[in-house]
Amino acid sequence: MSEVELTRERVEDALFRAGYWLLFAVIMLPIVVVFVTSFQRGEYLTFPPQEFSLRWYAQFFASAEWLSAVRDSIVIGVGASVLSTALGVTGSLAVQRSDSTLARVLPPVILLPLLLPPVVIGLTLLIYFNRVGFGNTYLTIVVAHTLWATPLVFFVMQSVFARFDWDLRDAGMDLGARPSRVFYHVVLPNVRSGVVISAVVAFIVSLQEFIMALFLKSYEVQTVPVLAWTSLQSSLTPLVSVVSAFLVAVSVLGVLVSAALMNIEWLAEQL
Amino acid sequence: MASVTLSDLRKEYGDLTAVDGLSLDVDDGELLCLLGPSGCGKSTTLRMLGGLETPTDGDVHIGGDAVTDQPPYERNTSMVFQSWALFPHKSVLENVAFGLKMDGVGEDERHERAREMLDVVEMSGFADHDPTDLSGGQKQRVALARSLAIEPDVLLLDEPLSNLDKRLREQMQLELRNIHDEVETTFVHVTHDQNEAFTLADRIGIMNDGQIEQVGAPREVYDDPVSLFIEEFLGDTNLVDATVTETTETGVVADTALGTEAAIPTGDAAVAAGDELTVSFRPEELDVERADGGASDGGASITGEITDVLYRGSSVRFYVESAGEHVFFEQSVGADTDFAVGDTVAVSWDPDDLLAFAADGDRVGGGGS
Repeated sequence: MSEVELTRERVEDALFRAGYWLLFAVIMLPIVVVFVTSFQRGEYLTFPPQEFSLRWYAQFFASAEWLSAVRDSIVIGVGASVLSTALGVTGSLAVQRSDSTLARVLPPVILLPLLLPPVVIGLTLLIYFNRVGFGNTYLTIVVAHTLWATPLVFFVMQSVFARFDWDLRDAGMDLGARPSRVFYHVVLPNVRSGVVISAVVAFIVSLQEFIMALFLKSYEVQTVPVLAWTSLQSSLTPLVSVVSAFLVAVSVLGVLVSAALMNIEWLAEQL
Repeated sequence: MASVTLSDLRKEYGDLTAVDGLSLDVDDGELLCLLGPSGCGKSTTLRMLGGLETPTDGDVHIGGDAVTDQPPYERNTSMVFQSWALFPHKSVLENVAFGLKMDGVGEDERHERAREMLDVVEMSGFADHDPTDLSGGQKQRVALARSLAIEPDVLLLDEPLSNLDKRLREQMQLELRNIHDEVETTFVHVTHDQNEAFTLADRIGIMNDGQIEQVGAPREVYDDPVSLFIEEFLGDTNLVDATVTETTETGVVADTALGTEAAIPTGDAAVAAGDELTVSFRPEELDVERADGGASDGGASITGEITDVLYRGSSVRFYVESAGEHVFFEQSVGADTDFAVGDTVAVSWDPDDLLAFAADGDRVGGGGS
């Protein structure tokens, strides 16, 4: 390789890196703005803030309306996480090592809700639940979020199961364990971290989802993003930045937990 | 302990037929080896025996009971997998005790029995180890102990020794034989290694293309192969084309590609002049001596020049050219006659040791020697 080519390659490499970091910075910048403005003192959102205080954090924790929205978000997030993990894990398990028609048809069908605009799903579910007279807001939003989170769990588990040694399952059955006991004693211990990661992802998806939650909310039950939206309509206070900062923090925490779990499994494999 | 009967077993995957109408009887307490090249359907057959695959057609009987539609967890068979498939999240002891746990045996008793099994396979010092820490040979022993712990009617072994190195494999073959004698369970052992089959088996079933070609005691199969496939698969031999020139009272005379006519005792098999045969000259049946330029004594010998010498560790293989064809014979290293490239030798044989096969691969004659 000539020297000119080598230099050219280096320049291209540097440009690519610079472009990559620039893009990353542009994406991250709004999050930084949100964090910084959440610590401001003034009544109106300004960037950069003139003075800093924890005033809006104090106000957040004093607000019954916000705290009940947090509780609603957690209840719905946990519900959607449990339901979609159960559906996604068992669904993925069902199509493993199978060449039946069902195994070919199921993955695209499961993917479908992700491809539909949430507005459509939200509206459809609103009409549907009104028709059948089903009025529990918690359950309706859990169902809506499960529709969205299940495909994610399903495809995470597809890749987890792809690395699973299916001889272990055969060995378990061969030694007298029925399928349910094979799942509990043999399969689950070997894919546990994948299941936990799926559940965390599903929880975060539910926590962040806004459009379907907006359609399906009621006077008593509304999630944090929905309340943020309605309070934004009346005034643009730094309280919304506080709420956004919490949402980002929870997501980052979830990612860290997942990463730690994966590392633990990786570590265990190395030992 | 139980006998096994497979009747007309078939397994199809889409357009692919893995097992094609296989019937086989395994006696109670017998060690039967299913031997065949990869892709011949031997592992699929074993998995159908264990219930891990459902036959497309045909029946499986174990101990006289029809188990064709029974799932693996209801059959009292147990398999030792090629990958050993030890549960990585359980200790060695828990692995061995797993089957008993699934049977509802209490913890104290199942751990005691698991320890006994580990004793049998000489792994008692490793009860608390993680299976991931063990060497291949140790994993193999633990897998064997785990399968034997549930006292299966039939133990199924799916090439469990193929991932071991040669020395360890030969040692384990002998140990497997001893363990078989000790536990008196019916073993069905799948392998593609003919030496392993000959070492282990009471009887060998040789498979090709999803079917059993021949079943018999190792000696019987070796001495009296029913087809060209088996003759080629069981060991290196010299296969020479020949054309039948005349039929005699005891067999035929054929013009071989070695440039000599050979009498072949095919008995009263239906062979006519002009038929094409493949004749096997087994290297261990050939007598070789230095030729002093004299013509061959007619019939059962050829004279030729040594063209290649191959050292193969404990033996040396010599290639002799005659009429453009090569035949080989072998000598142990250190045998008193020592041939070199360029030497002229006379190779002779006893016509009774020749095996002839028809164009479709079936043995011509046979059943006598």
